[in-house]
Amino acid sequence: MNKIAIILLAAAAGVAWGQDGHQIMLEVQKRQHTNSMRYEGTLYSCTSPKGCPANSKALVTKRWVYERIGDFGKSKGILRFTGPAEVKGVALLIVNHPDAASDQWLWRPAVGREQKVAVQDRSTRFFGTDFTFEDLEERDADQYTYTIDGEMNGQWKIDAKPKKASGYTHCYFYIDKTNYTFQRIECYNKKGLARTIDYTDFEMIQGIWTARSVGVIDTIRKTRTAMHYDKVDYNLPLKDEAFTVEALRIAE
Amino acid sequence: MMLLRLISWPYARKHGFRWLLTIAGIVLGVAVFVGMHTANQSVLAAFQQTIDRIAGKAQLQVTAGEPGFDEGVLDKVRSLPEVSAAAPVIEATVSAGGTNLLILGVDMLGDRSLRTYDLENSEDGIDDPLVFLAQPDSLMVSKTLADRKGLTIGSRLPLDTMAGQEVFIVRGIMQPGGLAGAFGGDLAVMDIYAAEKMFGRGKRFDRVDLALKEGVSLDEGEEKLKASLGPGFQVEPPSSRGQQFEATSRVYAIASDITSLFALFIGMFIIYNTFAIAVTQRRAEIGILRALGATRAQIRTLFLAESALTGLAGTALGIVAGLALARAMAGYIGSLLQDVYGVAQGAGEITLDPKLALAAGAMGVLTSLVAAVIPARNAARVDPVKALQKGQYQSLSEGENRARRRWAIACVCASLVALGFGRIGVVLYAGFLLAVLAAVLLSPAVTLWLARAIRPVLAKVRPVEGTLAADSLIQAPRRTSGTVAALMLSLALVVSLGGLARASYDAIAEWMHVSLNLDLLVTPVENLTNRTFVLPESLGAGLRAIPGVADVQMVRGVRIQVNGSPVMLLAADHGALMRFSHQPLVAGHPARMLEQTLAGAGAIASENFVTLHGAKLGDSVEIPSPSGMLHMRIAGVVRDFTDQQGTLFISRDAYVRAWNDTGITSFGIFLKPGFSAPGVRQAILNAFSAKSRIFVMTNAEVRGYIDRLTNQWFGLTYVQIAVAVLVAILGIVNALTVSITDRRRELGVLQAVGGLRWQIRHTIWMEAAAIGVIGLALGLGLGAVQLYYSVQVTQRDIIGIDLGYAYPFGIAFGLLPVILGAAWLAALGPGEQAVRGSLVEALEYE
Repeated sequence: MNKIAIILLAAAAGVAWGQDGHQIMLEVQKRQHTNSMRYEGTLYSCTSPKGCPANSKALVTKRWVYERIGDFGKSKGILRFTGPAEVKGVALLIVNHPDAASDQWLWRPAVGREQKVAVQDRSTRFFGTDFTFEDLEERDADQYTYTIDGEMNGQWKIDAKPKKASGYTHCYFYIDKTNYTFQRIECYNKKGLARTIDYTDFEMIQGIWTARSVGVIDTIRKTRTAMHYDKVDYNLPLKDEAFTVEALRIAE
Repeated sequence: MMLLRLISWPYARKHGFRWLLTIAGIVLGVAVFVGMHTANQSVLAAFQQTIDRIAGKAQLQVTAGEPGFDEGVLDKVRSLPEVSAAAPVIEATVSAGGTNLLILGVDMLGDRSLRTYDLENSEDGIDDPLVFLAQPDSLMVSKTLADRKGLTIGSRLPLDTMAGQEVFIVRGIMQPGGLAGAFGGDLAVMDIYAAEKMFGRGKRFDRVDLALKEGVSLDEGEEKLKASLGPGFQVEPPSSRGQQFEATSRVYAIASDITSLFALFIGMFIIYNTFAIAVTQRRAEIGILRALGATRAQIRTLFLAESALTGLAGTALGIVAGLALARAMAGYIGSLLQDVYGVAQGAGEITLDPKLALAAGAMGVLTSLVAAVIPARNAARVDPVKALQKGQYQSLSEGENRARRRWAIACVCASLVALGFGRIGVVLYAGFLLAVLAAVLLSPAVTLWLARAIRPVLAKVRPVEGTLAADSLIQAPRRTSGTVAALMLSLALVVSLGGLARASYDAIAEWMHVSLNLDLLVTPVENLTNRTFVLPESLGAGLRAIPGVADVQMVRGVRIQVNGSPVMLLAADHGALMRFSHQPLVAGHPARMLEQTLAGAGAIASENFVTLHGAKLGDSVEIPSPSGMLHMRIAGVVRDFTDQQGTLFISRDAYVRAWNDTGITSFGIFLKPGFSAPGVRQAILNAFSAKSRIFVMTNAEVRGYIDRLTNQWFGLTYVQIAVAVLVAILGIVNALTVSITDRRRELGVLQAVGGLRWQIRHTIWMEAAAIGVIGLALGLGLGAVQLYYSVQVTQRDIIGIDLGYAYPFGIAFGLLPVILGAAWLAALGPGEQAVRGSLVEALEYE
């Protein structure tokens, strides 16, 4: 699943009894459903394994705008960087498919070229953050097999195994039992724990529980990325034509 | 062992200087062999290391010759189920502050599937990946380069681009080792789309590196990719690029092999001469040994063991000297390969390859043993009774002379018969060998005859000294003939190499006169063999608009593979094809040749292409292109010196259709009457140099450049000539030293009866001069024969061009003072040795 989307679509409602992992995840998806969304985000990425004190050269800050349209598994999204000046205009178009890996195109205004991101490149880190391109993909709840691995601190620990090709062997989803929001994701690859994602600062926005802050740790490189979301809006009148390669080139 | 210690060692100590000279022959041969091969191997190993380091995890590479291919090929490769990862590459060498820098243009998103940049875990590794990708001026450099140039993150590095010099920003530093160690660490990585722009490549990649899925074998992957991409693409493991480099520089490798082998061959004569003299000098010693019960086999083994030890000592010293030579030559070879073949690769670390050391050892010892076989056999045949009698042991018996003459005549006859079947390689080489053998066999008799012939001349110049010098040679033909033979072979080599060089210069001059009759040449690089940068076709229209320009001809030169061998393809427009079709015609009809080539149905082939590929006029040649295999008929054959591996001229329209590449590597410009080349050149530079990277050369500059390149290439020939002359000098010094030792008593008596020191000196000098003159006469004669064979071999197996036979009279005349001077220099030491020794000891000698 698109972790960013998951974060923003996290919501909670009611209490579930006797649900299996798949049913829980369908409920999470249902509560997070929107026709479209838009947010502005700020990203803090610490590229040093030793940590990043304030004003450290290794602490990189970036801002972007993300817009998304469509249903889960079939959605389209554009992530466009707005700052700093050196990266302004760089954009990524993601077209998700329910039964195949997403198509992704990168637009670099200074080079004047769009470039398709190959399937082989999905495990590459997303521009120095601790996300990979695969993490930006959105996957329907049906594209995982789930097993409830236990319950603790009011959360379900669900073992999710991807049905499609993935850089991960499996992930543990920690879902809040009260509001069906993601609290934490732990993803494993062949070498072991690769990435952890923690969701905090939840806020109800237009009826949807939304995490305002997310912390991602690359456990292998021991680097950290922190994100903060501002101006989150759901169900905006966004047009399908704005999510094409042509639009990627034009709209800066 | 005991015989070696008791007999050989005291003799070697007594004649230490001569043994040193003998060893010097092997040292020289082995040193040249080891030096040239080590320097070659060093450049090749560095190239291979660069390939390996750049290849990373890539198992196969997709290429289509130098022009590369459209970006769309990448998607085609990635779509194959056998491929797990594929990444495009642009690779080019640029000059940066006086050093060559290898620029690797890669897809920064997907390349890490194949290559490890080793910078993510380092604090100063990369500034910001997104900024790196977003800004086309981003550069990632190796730590080695950063340290060498004092670069840190954020440093500015100016580099040549198609739009002139542009400043790049260092945004990443790769840790040493791995990829960063490629090209000796002079490596920079940039985004591939920025590299396309920088080098004027349009939307084209040089190659695609790829890894296969688990369980897919290399053969299977190769087969599937070839089937999917078509015959215009080469799908090979990265290591095959090293083989291509070796194939491209094949002529150079052959030339260096010939030099080292010839040095050893001449060294063999020095050893033969030394041992032949030693056998005659030690006849009494051998006689005593035989009288005491030593068997013939023991005597033979003794001499062969001495020879093996000499060879071993010479080899050891030769290897040490060879390594020093390799260090001195590596730079020259690197620049030669870059200038002649357009492959920029400096030499790596100079280390001795154990296999090469073994080969050198085997060659040194074997050469020494072969040289000693005949003297050892002669030593074993010495009759103990006759050996103990004093006599003329340096003279040759009439029977011996007769046998040599018979063998020589047989060799000459066989060689003449072989001439009739010269098209067969083995027969040609056998004929060559027989001709040389005949000359060697005849050399003692001819030496004696010539020595007698020049006796009156020497006597006229200096009645006493001249007569003594001539008599010394006449009375000791065995001693003299070996030296003369070595000198003859050396000088024959000089004549044949000089003749080949002269013929090459003349042929190149004639070729330049026809094919380079343009007034100006506009290129994107100052080095005509470097095809890193490509100019846009649109520049042609701009050039035509410059006042004074009458015609602009466009040529795109690319190296491609034809039948698995590297070949130069020149795609020329109508005007340029007209010009090329006027090159010296070897086969075909000029008008039809041009017509077929312009129509895209045929190609004009260079003479060396048809020779090296075994093709002829009218044959169909298959030219692989990204759009499929082009089948073109050889419409004509011309004498062309563009490339050592052969050149094909095709119409530019056919090239653009097949390669979808409109780039131009050179614009030939013809001026209107009344306009000066410097003036129009300035106008072109004023109009375009600010916007585009261009160099404008006048006709004289182009010719000067080709002359420089030719001189650089023949630098190797000068090395060969220097080796030959050096060996000749060694031979003379050796012969004179032996002569002085042999005649110590005679020279002592001369001094005792009132002979003056200067008279003795002059006698030695005249003897040296006489050896020089005789060797020169024989060498110039054999050189004439050798030149004939060299021209044949060069055409057949090396460059594929008939250079024609023209005896280098200038070189022959030039050799006279050189050899006389060398002989005089060689005689200085022995001359002094003759007059400075103790008179009493001299009179007691023997």
